[in-house]
Amino acid sequence: MAGAASPDHLFGLRNSFYVGAYQAVITGVQAIPARAALSPDALAERDSLLYRSYIAIGSHQLVIDEIGPGAATPLQAVRLLTVYLSGGAGGKESAIRKLNELLADDAVGSNPILRLVAGTVLMHERDYAGALKHTNSGGTMELLAMNVQICLQMHRSDHAEKQLRIMQQLDEDHTLTQLANAWVDLVMGGSKIQEAHLIFQDLSEKYPATCLILNGKALCLMHMGNFEDAEGLLLESLNKDAKDAETLANLVVCSLNLGKSASRYLNQLKLAHPDHMLVKRMSSAEDSFDRACQAIS
Amino acid sequence: MLTKFETKSNRVKGLSFHPRRPWILASLHSGVIQMWDYRMGTLLDRFDEHDGPVRGVHFHATQPLFVSGGDDYKIKVWNYKTHRCLFTLHGHLDYIRTVQFHHECPWIVSASDDQTIRIWNWQSRTCVAVLTGHNHYVMCASFHPKEDLVVSASLDQTVRVWDISALRKKSVSPADDILRLTQMNTDLFGGVDAVVKYVLEGHDRGVNWASFHPTLPLIVSGADDRQVKIWRMNDTKAWEVDTLRGHMNNVSCVMFHAKQDIIVSNSEDKSIRIWDATKRTGIQTFRREHDRFWILSAHPEMNLLAAGHDSGMIVFKLERERPAFSVSGDTVFYVKDRFLRFFEFTTQKEVQLAPIRRPGSVSLNQSPKTLSYSPTENAVLICSDVDGGSYELYIVPKDSAGRADYLQDAKKGAGGSAVFVARNRFAVLEKSSNQVLVRNLKNEIVKKSPLPIATDAIYYAGTGSLLCKAEDRVTIFDLQQRLILGELQAPSVKYVVWSSDMESVALLSKHAVVIANKKLVHRCTLHETIRVKSGAWDENGVFIYTTLNHIKYCLPNGDSGIIKTLDVPIYITRVIGNNIFCLDRDGKNKLVTVDASEYIFKLALLRKRYDHVMSMIKNSQLCGQAVISYLQQKGFPEVALHFVKDEKTRFNLALESGNIQIAVASAKEIDDKDHWYRLGIEALRQGNVGIVEYAYQRTKNFERLAFLYLITGYMDKVGFMCKIAGQNNNLMGQFHNALYLGDAMKRVEILENAGQLPLAYITATTHGLTEIADRLAAELGENIPSLPEGKARSLLIPPAPLTASGDWPLLRVMRGIFEGGLDATGKAELEEDDEAAGADWGDEGLDIVDASEAMANGGDGFDAEEGEANEEDGEEGGWDLEDLELLPEAETPKNAGNARSAVFVAPPPGMPVSLIWTQKSSLAGEHAAAGNFDTAMRLLSRQLGIKNFAPLKPLFLDLHMGSHSYLHALATAPIIPVAVEKGWSESASPNVRGPPALVFTFPQMEDRLKAAYKATTDGKFPEALRQFLSILHTIPLIVVDSRREVDEVKELIEIVREYVLGLRMELKRKELRDDVNRQQELAAYFTNCKLQRVHMRLVLGSAMGLCYKQKNFATAEHFARMLLENNPNEAQARRARQVQQQCSGKKDSSELNYDYRNPFVVCGATYVPIYRGQKDVSCPYCGSRFVPSIEGQLCTICELAVVGADASGLVCSPTQLR
Repeated sequence: MAGAASPDHLFGLRNSFYVGAYQAVITGVQAIPARAALSPDALAERDSLLYRSYIAIGSHQLVIDEIGPGAATPLQAVRLLTVYLSGGAGGKESAIRKLNELLADDAVGSNPILRLVAGTVLMHERDYAGALKHTNSGGTMELLAMNVQICLQMHRSDHAEKQLRIMQQLDEDHTLTQLANAWVDLVMGGSKIQEAHLIFQDLSEKYPATCLILNGKALCLMHMGNFEDAEGLLLESLNKDAKDAETLANLVVCSLNLGKSASRYLNQLKLAHPDHMLVKRMSSAEDSFDRACQAIS
Repeated sequence: MLTKFETKSNRVKGLSFHPRRPWILASLHSGVIQMWDYRMGTLLDRFDEHDGPVRGVHFHATQPLFVSGGDDYKIKVWNYKTHRCLFTLHGHLDYIRTVQFHHECPWIVSASDDQTIRIWNWQSRTCVAVLTGHNHYVMCASFHPKEDLVVSASLDQTVRVWDISALRKKSVSPADDILRLTQMNTDLFGGVDAVVKYVLEGHDRGVNWASFHPTLPLIVSGADDRQVKIWRMNDTKAWEVDTLRGHMNNVSCVMFHAKQDIIVSNSEDKSIRIWDATKRTGIQTFRREHDRFWILSAHPEMNLLAAGHDSGMIVFKLERERPAFSVSGDTVFYVKDRFLRFFEFTTQKEVQLAPIRRPGSVSLNQSPKTLSYSPTENAVLICSDVDGGSYELYIVPKDSAGRADYLQDAKKGAGGSAVFVARNRFAVLEKSSNQVLVRNLKNEIVKKSPLPIATDAIYYAGTGSLLCKAEDRVTIFDLQQRLILGELQAPSVKYVVWSSDMESVALLSKHAVVIANKKLVHRCTLHETIRVKSGAWDENGVFIYTTLNHIKYCLPNGDSGIIKTLDVPIYITRVIGNNIFCLDRDGKNKLVTVDASEYIFKLALLRKRYDHVMSMIKNSQLCGQAVISYLQQKGFPEVALHFVKDEKTRFNLALESGNIQIAVASAKEIDDKDHWYRLGIEALRQGNVGIVEYAYQRTKNFERLAFLYLITGYMDKVGFMCKIAGQNNNLMGQFHNALYLGDAMKRVEILENAGQLPLAYITATTHGLTEIADRLAAELGENIPSLPEGKARSLLIPPAPLTASGDWPLLRVMRGIFEGGLDATGKAELEEDDEAAGADWGDEGLDIVDASEAMANGGDGFDAEEGEANEEDGEEGGWDLEDLELLPEAETPKNAGNARSAVFVAPPPGMPVSLIWTQKSSLAGEHAAAGNFDTAMRLLSRQLGIKNFAPLKPLFLDLHMGSHSYLHALATAPIIPVAVEKGWSESASPNVRGPPALVFTFPQMEDRLKAAYKATTDGKFPEALRQFLSILHTIPLIVVDSRREVDEVKELIEIVREYVLGLRMELKRKELRDDVNRQQELAAYFTNCKLQRVHMRLVLGSAMGLCYKQKNFATAEHFARMLLENNPNEAQARRARQVQQQCSGKKDSSELNYDYRNPFVVCGATYVPIYRGQKDVSCPYCGSRFVPSIEGQLCTICELAVVGADASGLVCSPTQLR
C-alpha cells in the first residue's frame, strides 16, 4: 500500500474495479493527473486495471490490439486472458500453453497478476486444484479473494472461511475483504445472508450502484425468500446495462420463483451471452431430460 | 464553567438576577448601577444617582422595581420602566452593605456599617424595625425564602438569625396610633419587634456573608478567616455542622445553589469554588489572574450564577443543559436523568431503555456531551468531558424496551470525541497525536489514521468518512483513502447537522450557520447576533434552526426568516411539515406546531413550483406586507398583486408587472391625475392604444389625445377633437388639430375668427383658396401683406396615414400560472358486469313449440367396484437437518514441476448443494430442481404411474433453472451458482442445508384454479382447459409442508379432473355438427360432472336448451327441474320455468344413452356412461374412470399416466415420509 503521505491515485480505480464500475475505471485512468509520477509498478497495475476493465465490458479486440509483444509481464498475462476468453477451442489451448510457459519462467512466474490470470483461466477450465496451486500463497488481496472464490466453487466453504480470515487479518475494511465476506455468507446461507445483505448495502452507500452490487443485494433478498423486492433491484440493474449477463440470469431465476414467465429474459441471455452458465445448464438439462425419457419408456 | 456573559467595568459590588427576564443588575464601586440583558449581551440602562459606591442591589420579584443601597447611607427604590428613582429611604448612619426585597410583604431589609439591620416598608416608606445586637459592621442580611427569619453576618465574627414573626403579625392590622407608638418605641428602645433567635459563633474573624438554604434548615457562611461554615438549625437551637477549607484569602460571598446540591463561594483570593453540599468536599475551582471576587448571585429559577470582581462580572453556569441526542430515522435517542431513552416521532411515544452508569467520581459537567447511534447494530456511543474526554459504547438489546436492567457493561475509552463511521465501526479522536483510532464493536482498534489538520472534534460525514473540525475550518476526510474530500472555512463549528439524504450539511457555530453540500462546497452563510442552538433539515431541503429566542428557517438560496419566538431555548430533533419535535433543557420531548407556509411559499417560488404557489394563493394561506415585499424583490410582482389591498400599492405592482387590466381597475378607484397619467405612459409603452385613449380622456388631456389619434391614423377622431377644442374656445388646440388634419380651409377660418386676417389671407393664398383670398383682400384693403416673390409655392400637408390601426400586435402569451383555475373533472366510474356469461354457453332464444311425444330410457347397472386403496410406499425418512460432516477424501496431488506448488495440497472438492438435495429427498419436485431427472421420473412413475413425461419437460426445466442464483464475484472469473433454499429465517443456522425453494407452489395452483374458473364462466373453454391441465401437470412436482395441505392437493386433483373431463366433452360436442343425439348426450354427461354451482347452472341451462330444441321434452324438463334446484338467477329461473311449462307431460322425441335415474361415471376416453355395477378401470394419477378396453393406454384426461397401472400414490410432502 502506498504511503499515507501522498494520495494513492489507484485507490479509487481499484475500488471501482472491484465493485464492477468498469466504465469508471476506464475514465478514471484518463483523469489521473500527469504530475502524479506513478512508479513502474503502479503504472503496470494501472494499465492492467484498465485492460481488465475493457475485458469486463467485452472489448476484447481492443485489448489484443493494444498490448504488444514488448509489454510487461502483467499486461502479457492480461492479453492471454483476453485471447482465452474470446477465442474458440484453439485459442483457448494456445493461451493456456503460453500461460504455462510464462508461469514456468522463474523470472516472472511469481508475478501476482500473472498468477491471478492463471487462476482465472483454470477456474474457467474447472481445474480448481490447478488454480489453487498458483493462487494459494496469496500475496495480494485479489489473490486471496480468488482463493475464497475457488474454494466456494469447489463447494468447500470451510476452506473459503479460512481464506477470508486471512484477508480480515490483513485489512478487514478492504473492499475485497467485504465482498469476499459477502460471498461466503451467501453460500453458507442461514442467518449469514443478512450480514451479506448489510455488506452490499454498505457498498451501495459508498459507491454508485453497479450491476454487481445490485445483483448482490438482489441475491440476498432472493435467498431470504423476498423475490418481489429482488426483482425490483434486478430491473434497476437491467436499466443500467440491458445486456448484463448476471442480471438477465438472475431475472430468469427470480421470475420463475415469482411464478412469472422468464422466456423473454432467457432469450435475451441466449442472444447476448450464449456461453453463460445458465444457458449451458439449460441445454444440458434438456439433454438430460430427453435421455431420462428414453430410459423410462 | 460555561461562561455565558462577561462585562468589563469598575469593581462590581452588588448583583441581582431578574426572576423571569434575562436581565441582571450590577452595582459598581463607582456608584453606577447597570442593567444588562445577559442573553443578548447588551447594556439596557444605567442609574447613577448614588454618591459613592453602591454595594447592594436587588430586583423585586414581581414589580418593576429594584432597590439599591450605597455608601452615601441612602437606600433608593427605582422603577426601571420609568428609569427613575421613586424615593429614598433615610435612617442608616453609615455605609449600607446589602439590601433585599421580601418576596411577599412590602419590606426591604438592609445591612449597614452602623451595626444595625433595618426593615423598611417601601409602600409607606417608613422604617418598621431596627435590629440591634451586632457590635461591628453588619456585612449582609437577607430574608428567609419562606419563614419569618432574617440571617445576618457581621465583622463581630457572628452570624445571627432573627425572628421577625412579630413584625408580620403587627403589620397585618396597622393602626395609626399603634404605628406611631411603634415608631417611637423603635427610636427609643431598639428592635422590640424582632428578636435574636440564634447567635452562631465559630468563625475566627469577621463574617462577610451568610445565607439560608432554599429549602433545608441550613445556613452557609463565609468569613475573613478564609473558611466556609455550614450550620444547621431547628426550632430551639443552631449549631455548626462542618467547615470547608480551601480559600486562601477572605471569603467574600457564599450561597447554596438553587437547583443543585452544591455550595458556591468566591473570595479575595481571586477564585470561585464549588463544593459538594452533602460530602463537604471541594469539587472545582475557577480562578482569575488579577481580579478579586466580591459578590455572587444565583438565579432563582435557572441554572445560572453570576460573580462580580474587580474589573466586571461574569454570568456562568456549571452544567451543560443541552441534552445529548442523536436522530436516526423515525427515532431520537437521548440521555436524560442518567437514562438512555428514545422517542418515536410517529407514535410520539417515549421509551426508557436502560440506566447509564454514573462515573465513580463526583464532578461537575459530566453529563453526556454527544451521542452517536448505529441503527443496524443498535449501538449507542456516548461522549462526555469526564477525565478530559471519554466515551462509552453501549449495545442495546433489541427487546430491552421497558426493562430497567443495566445494559451490558459499557466499553470505555479515552478520546476527544467518538462517532460511528460505519455500521460496526467507530472513530475516536486522539488529540495528543492528532489521529483517529478506528474501533470495532468490541472496542478493539482496527486501524489508526493520522488526520490532515489539527483537529478539535470529529463528526460523521458518510460511511467511512469523517468531518474534522479545526479552529477555523472543517474538512471531510476519507478514512480508507486517507484523502481530504472537501474543505471549507467555517468559524469554530460546534454542531453538525446532515440532511437525511446526506447531500447537505449545516455547520452551527456560536453566531453563524454555514450551509454546504456533501463535499463542503459552500452554499450560504447566515450570521446571527445571538447564539445558534440547534437545527434540523425538513423534507423539502429547508434548514430549520433555533437561536436562544427564535425558530428560524434557511432556504437553499440563503434566504432566512423567523418562524416563531421562543421563551426558552429548545433543541430541534425533527421537522415534519408544520411540526417541530424538540428537546428542552430538562430533556423533555416537545412538539411545537408552527406555520410553515411562509417558507414553503418562498421555497415554491425558488423552485419555480408555480402550481404550489398558485394553490397557496388560492387558499389565502399567506398574508402580510413582508411577503409582498419579498415577492417584489424576487421578481414576482404579479404574484404580489394577489395579496395587495391598498389600491396605490396595487397600482404600482400592476404597472411593474405590466398588468394593465388591474392597473386600470386601481386607477379607477384612485381616480387622480397622476395615476391616470402614469397608466397612460405604461399603456403607451405596451402599445395598448385603447387604454391610452381612456387614460387621456379621464384626465381631459386633449392635446395628448389628439396627437394619439394622429399617430394612430384616426383622422375622424382628430376632427372630433378639433370641434371640441372649438367648443372650449381653445384656439391653439383647435389650430393644432387643423394642422394635424391638413385642413387649410379650417385653418383660414380659425385665423379669421381669431382676428388674424393677414395670416388668414396668406394661408388662403398659399393653399390656392382664391375666393376666400379675394374676400379677405377686400376686407384688408390697403393692408394686404406682400407675398414673397420668386418662390415656388407648395402645400404643407402632413402625410396621410396608410392604415388606421388600433392596439399594437401582441404575441399570444400562455395564461400565467397564476391566472385561471384548475377545473377538476371527475371521471365516470366504469361499471363492471357481474357474471357475464359468454355466448358459447348456448343462450340462444328458445323457440317454444308444441311437442308431440317422448320416450323414456331405462336400464339397470351394476355397482362400481371399489378402487384399490393406495398403498403408501415406505420410503426412507425425510430431511435430515443435522450438520453435514464431509469426510475429506484422500487425493494425491499431481506432481508439478514448480517446487513451491509441490508443498501445497489442494483440498478435495466438497459436495454441491444439489447433490445433497438428491441424497435426502424422495420428492420428485426436489429431484427435478437438483437436475436429477432420472430419479424424478422414476419416482413419478412408481408413485403415480406417469409414463408420458413430455408435458412435464418445461416444468422440469423451470424447477432446475429456478433452483440456483448466480453470484458475480471477481471480474472475468466464472460466476458462482448459489443454491436457493427454502424456509430462510433470521435465526437459521449457516451451512445447514435446507430443501430447494421450488418455483411451483400450492398457492400458485390455487391462483390458477381461480383463473381457470373464470375462463370457464366466460365460456372460453380452450383457455380453461389449458389452465386446468397446467394444474394437473404441475401437481406431481409441488411440495407442501403439512398433512392438511396434502389432503388439499388431493382434493384439488379431483376438482380439476372433473372439469377437464367436462370441458373435453364440451369441446367434443362443438365439433359434432350433424349428430344431434350425440350432442345432447355429451351435454347431458357434462351435467354429471362435479362442478361449482355457478358452472353447474350454466351447464344445466345449456343442456336444457339443447334438448328442448331437439324436442326431447322429458329430458329437457329434467334439466329444468335440476336448474331450479340450483338457485338460479332470475333470468335462468324464468327460462327454466318456461321450459318446464312447455315440457310438462311430454316425452322425448329420440332415445338418448342417458339415464339420470341410474348413477354413472363417464369414461374419459370414449365419453360413454359407466353405470353402477359395470366394470371400469381408473387412472392411477388423476383417478379418471375408463371402460375396461382403455386399460394400458395413456390417460386422456391428465395425459400423463397409464390407465390401470399400479401406483403407490401421490407423495408431495416430507410429512408423508415419516
